[in-house]
Amino acid sequence: MHKSWMKRQSRLGYLFIGPNMIGVLLFFIIPAVYSFYLMFTDYKFMSPETNFVGLDNIRRMLNDDLFGVALRNTFVFLLAVPVSMGLAFIVAVALNKSVYWQKTLRALYFMPYITSGVAIAFVWMLLFQPTSGPINGFLRGIGITNPPGWLSTTEWSMYAIDIIWIWFMLGYNMIIYLAALQEIPEELVEAARIDGARPWQTIRQVIWPLVSPTTFLLLITGLIMTIKNFGIIQAITQGGPGNSTTVLSLFIYQNAFRYYEMGYAAAISWALFAIIMVFTVLQWLGQKRWVHY
Amino acid sequence: MEKRNATSAKPTAPHSPKVKVRMESLTQIRKIILTLLMSGFALLMIMPFIWMISTSFKSPADVFTYPIQWIPSSLNWEHHIKVWSGADTFATYYLNSLKISLISTVGAVFLSAFAAYGFARIQFKGRETLFLIYLSMMMVPPQVLFVPKFLMFEWVGIYNTHWALILPGMFTIFGVFMLRQFFLSVPSEISEAAFIDGAGHLRIFFRLILPLAKPALATLAIIDFSWHWNDYENALVFLIDKDLYTVPLGLQNFILENNVDYNGMMAAATAGIIPMIIVFLVGQHYIIQGVAGSAVKG
Repeated sequence: MHKSWMKRQSRLGYLFIGPNMIGVLLFFIIPAVYSFYLMFTDYKFMSPETNFVGLDNIRRMLNDDLFGVALRNTFVFLLAVPVSMGLAFIVAVALNKSVYWQKTLRALYFMPYITSGVAIAFVWMLLFQPTSGPINGFLRGIGITNPPGWLSTTEWSMYAIDIIWIWFMLGYNMIIYLAALQEIPEELVEAARIDGARPWQTIRQVIWPLVSPTTFLLLITGLIMTIKNFGIIQAITQGGPGNSTTVLSLFIYQNAFRYYEMGYAAAISWALFAIIMVFTVLQWLGQKRWVHY
Repeated sequence: MEKRNATSAKPTAPHSPKVKVRMESLTQIRKIILTLLMSGFALLMIMPFIWMISTSFKSPADVFTYPIQWIPSSLNWEHHIKVWSGADTFATYYLNSLKISLISTVGAVFLSAFAAYGFARIQFKGRETLFLIYLSMMMVPPQVLFVPKFLMFEWVGIYNTHWALILPGMFTIFGVFMLRQFFLSVPSEISEAAFIDGAGHLRIFFRLILPLAKPALATLAIIDFSWHWNDYENALVFLIDKDLYTVPLGLQNFILENNVDYNGMMAAATAGIIPMIIVFLVGQHYIIQGVAGSAVKG
């Protein structure tokens, strides 16, 4: 009887998971496996034949100067993550208790995150306009005679993207920090205050260590989120000027859908996967620290 | 942390009422200053939006006047009219986005809830392994999947149709995770009582768990909807025809064709953003709860 009950349970389990599983199989697992196969071929869209080329794509990637450029740009892009987190922490601490209009302020800070996408990319494109844009207008106004050319110059373009990304992620990071701050027992902060700790000391020595698991979590998930993204960059610069904003994820897109080098694109996409994997393993290791503090 | 301090630290000398009042007003002042400071910074955060809206109403000559003209000298509606009329109009993009986002979201919420119930509440063979596979799929970057999906959709004949966005959109691994987490938190006594009364899993799912999960379902729906509405990458890869374009793609198209008309660009950007701002204002509570909850619970 027990056995038949187990069987019935199993059947029911698959009944519930089945519909979703079909989709996951079709749109995640099969494509992933197929992409893994493509990595070892010279598949080009609409080319007559496809050959198995072994590790050629990987070799090509490692010798491709552009891959190196994309990798470096990706790391510059990732710099936005800790900066955005730092600002978000400050905002979260300030908004946690001692201000009026808490809810409204939270919503305002969070707004960029929800209105993600190309729309905002175009607004920033004009804000960063080098000769007459408002940002450089302001910089000239405060006495910087030769402000950066932002998106139109190879030296500054990636940093301009960073600024947009910092702005975009700030609200998200803030919300997560706020959630963590609200978990901190009131007594601990109160105790520090009674012991004569100044607000700055309390933040540094009580609050910051207590939210360190959140900091870690945000860092890793932020890096993963950032490394996958290419929409904003594709919309504003398409990777230019030169290749100064071609990040890895955009590089894959370009190879696949601009040059139709799909085998090569598959190889780079698995390199991207490898980087994400490293972050994920780090997160998994950190989880132990994170679950019980 | 050191609990010792918390218990032993009684205030040593009670403050006199006068000192207390002074301290209270001091913290009040500090609160006001901090509020002003944070409001200023918040204003800076939403400045791009304000600039966008104001520019969309300016005359071309006023776009880059400095100091910035926050309130246009005259309201020019023509840029907005341009965006909403003509051959490629935002009305089409809105309808396309609405169709794709709504169908995907409804499908995703329902299918995720079903699967999440299975993972959370039914013991069956291979459950842990399957869940681990789901988990690992979250690591795979979308770029890995683009080319195979492109080829698959070509082959099946749904490339360059809305189905290429709707069908995959109905499956969200994040949704399964989020709802599983929620279902795990529903006390098992509730379903046990129903079991004793002879109800099966299907009945418990529809009659008990789903009604209980309404807030979680709403959260997922809003987050998922906004994700679909803002999705640019998938539309970029899978759609070609202009009459199929979604809002992000339509916006890009408008800007490519009008790249010197800055006012028009900002009117188009405004059209692209307004729906999400409305969704956000309505569902703010759910969005913020959902985002906070999903990350904190891992």
